[in-house]
Amino acid sequence: MSDNIQNLQKSLSERLPQCSVKIRKHGGVELNSSKENLVGVLAHLREHFGYRHLSHISCVDWLEQNQFELVYILWNYESRIQLFVKVRLARENGSGISIRHLWPQADTYEREIAEMYGLPFDGNENPRELILEDWDAMPPMRRDFDTRAYSKEAFYDRPGREDAKDVRSVISGRSGEEIPEIAIPYTRK
Amino acid sequence: MEMNDKDTLTIVEHIKNFARRHSLFVLAYGTGCGAIEVPPTMTSRYDAERFGIVGRATPRQADVLLITGYLSVKTLKRVIRTYEQMQNPKYVIGFGSCTINGGMYWDSYNTIKVLDQYMPVDVYINGCMPRPESVISGFIKLQQLIKAGKADGWKKYQENLDWYRTNQKKVIKNWNMPDYNW
Ligand code: SF4
Repeated sequence: MSDNIQNLQKSLSERLPQCSVKIRKHGGVELNSSKENLVGVLAHLREHFGYRHLSHISCVDWLEQNQFELVYILWNYESRIQLFVKVRLARENGSGISIRHLWPQADTYEREIAEMYGLPFDGNENPRELILEDWDAMPPMRRDFDTRAYSKEAFYDRPGREDAKDVRSVISGRSGEEIPEIAIPYTRK
Repeated sequence: MEMNDKDTLTIVEHIKNFARRHSLFVLAYGTGCGAIEVPPTMTSRYDAERFGIVGRATPRQADVLLITGYLSVKTLKRVIRTYEQMQNPKYVIGFGSCTINGGMYWDSYNTIKVLDQYMPVDVYINGCMPRPESVISGFIKLQQLIKAGKADGWKKYQENLDWYRTNQKKVIKNWNMPDYNW
């Protein structure tokens, strides 16, 4: 198995010299591409390396570097080695490139990323909303989105439960009920 | 509720309430994790049909709407539409801490926290998730309320429709639903 991975790494670095290839500690091979090369690299992997299956596109928010990272996770049914193709994009006003022509199912992932991270894809303009409905605040999966503040603003709190603390003693005091012995160690006074 | 001159329920109303509380038809609709507890409640082990609790397929046939857990804003829109399509009298049961105070989704950006701000709730069942026993005890509580003529959430909804609408429209931004006027 490790031989296979080493061979794959070697042939990948020969065939795709514009990308850096490395073996991941927990299995699989990682390939860093630039945005310009991405579609060519993916098409090449698909045609010549047997990576016919796109498992997932995920997005990582590198807030500190002001970048988004897209990870295309590919699978080869013959060699059974997973491949991660990574590309870094500008976080503000950046855009990815749609690969719907290679894998139609990429459409779903691109819609999700566009909705949850606010990252548009060239070639997939104005995608329909996928999970959220009529969302007009900051895309919620961005790391600088404060979900607690948003939910405080948008939804009502149950009066007296804003702090979400343990209320066993209060409730038992109100109803005159005794706290069972087993629960006493876990009850805040 | 029709009252007589002594300010108690009329005989006719008693008979109606008797019929209502022994034929609670539940809409087969589930949100959140809680819908999982409904099949065991309905099937042979706990057999809710003993109490006249039966599933029904469409809102027009149902009396009880179970809100079985957290409601995302998107689901809330469908739930309100469903609720408004149901025939009077109709009852709402809120399952689990998510409908009471948000539960473990209390700081989520996309789930409402307090259900009774958006629709009238007759009975809450606490727990995360309530077991079938507590579900049945919630139904019994609802039957008692109906018997006493106190399960009148549907009336409150009609009377305070503006207040509910304001709250609903606060979270549902694109209100493109028909207006029912009963
Ligand atoms: S109360 Fe618990 S079980 Fe019920 S919907 Fe919320 S998280 Fe799920």
